[in-house]
Amino acid sequence: MALKLYDKLKHAVRYWLLRTLPTCQQTVELISQSMERPLTFGESFKLKLHVWICVWCQWYMEHLLVIRDASRTKADQAPDLMTSPPLSNEARERIRRRLTNQN
Amino acid sequence: MSEAQAKSPQPSADPERWLDDHGDYLFKYAVFRLRDDIVAEDAVQETFLAALKAYGNFEGRGSERTWLVGILKHKIIDHFRRVGREAPIGEEPDDGPEHREFFDRPGEWQGHWNANWAPNDWHATPAELVERGDFWKVFNDCLSPLPQRTVSAFTLREVEGLKSEEICDILSIKVNNLWVMLHRARLHLRNCLELNWFKQEQ
Repeated sequence: MALKLYDKLKHAVRYWLLRTLPTCQQTVELISQSMERPLTFGESFKLKLHVWICVWCQWYMEHLLVIRDASRTKADQAPDLMTSPPLSNEARERIRRRLTNQN
Repeated sequence: MSEAQAKSPQPSADPERWLDDHGDYLFKYAVFRLRDDIVAEDAVQETFLAALKAYGNFEGRGSERTWLVGILKHKIIDHFRRVGREAPIGEEPDDGPEHREFFDRPGEWQGHWNANWAPNDWHATPAELVERGDFWKVFNDCLSPLPQRTVSAFTLREVEGLKSEEICDILSIKVNNLWVMLHRARLHLRNCLELNWFKQEQ
């Protein structure tokens, strides 16, 4: 009985918060901004609350950070460890010709 | 080789040897950032030509490769400056898909995630993704439909980690435009990666 009441209350609070706080569309924009500038106290409070009750926006935020972290780690990787293809033979020859013409 | 030469190898500007020793290294460095073979090849060629001219300044101080990478970095930034200057007329600085459909829901939940587009759990760490060559292929394919300037802004920010002011200067845009471009690039890329990589992996 008490548990049911608690669940009902939880749903009501969550519903009220989602209706009151910025929408997901506004929140994902705020998430992106938070990676560019310090948010104001109000923005940061609303963002935290929204993410607390919305797993989709929580994942969204995690994903943006995974993308940033992976991109920067990849950029720091020594190029000779990268599995991408090397210079093509044609390009190599073209560059070689251009360089020898310079001498 | 005589003994004297072996002891003190006289560094000389030898562009053909540079090409053999560092060509692939520089190309891979460039292609990850420029996402286009031809553009990356040009950047490598420009690097060697500039190195040839500036060889007097190098004089064997430090590693030859580090020196060449330093020149290449400038050539890559030059490319992004050109993208900023040459953005097609009519292309607003904040162009790129808005993906309103992601948040299209009837009734009172309009503006919240539409379940068809809502994020899923990725179960992935950055360290794992770095090692997956095919992930970066999908990553590039996902960025390619976006406007050039938007992709450049994204690369300078998320790959190179430059500050807003530096990026705005390179691309000749205002900071508000930059934020809109980054937001749209992230919204698009995240969804595209989820559809074409994470859902395929599971």
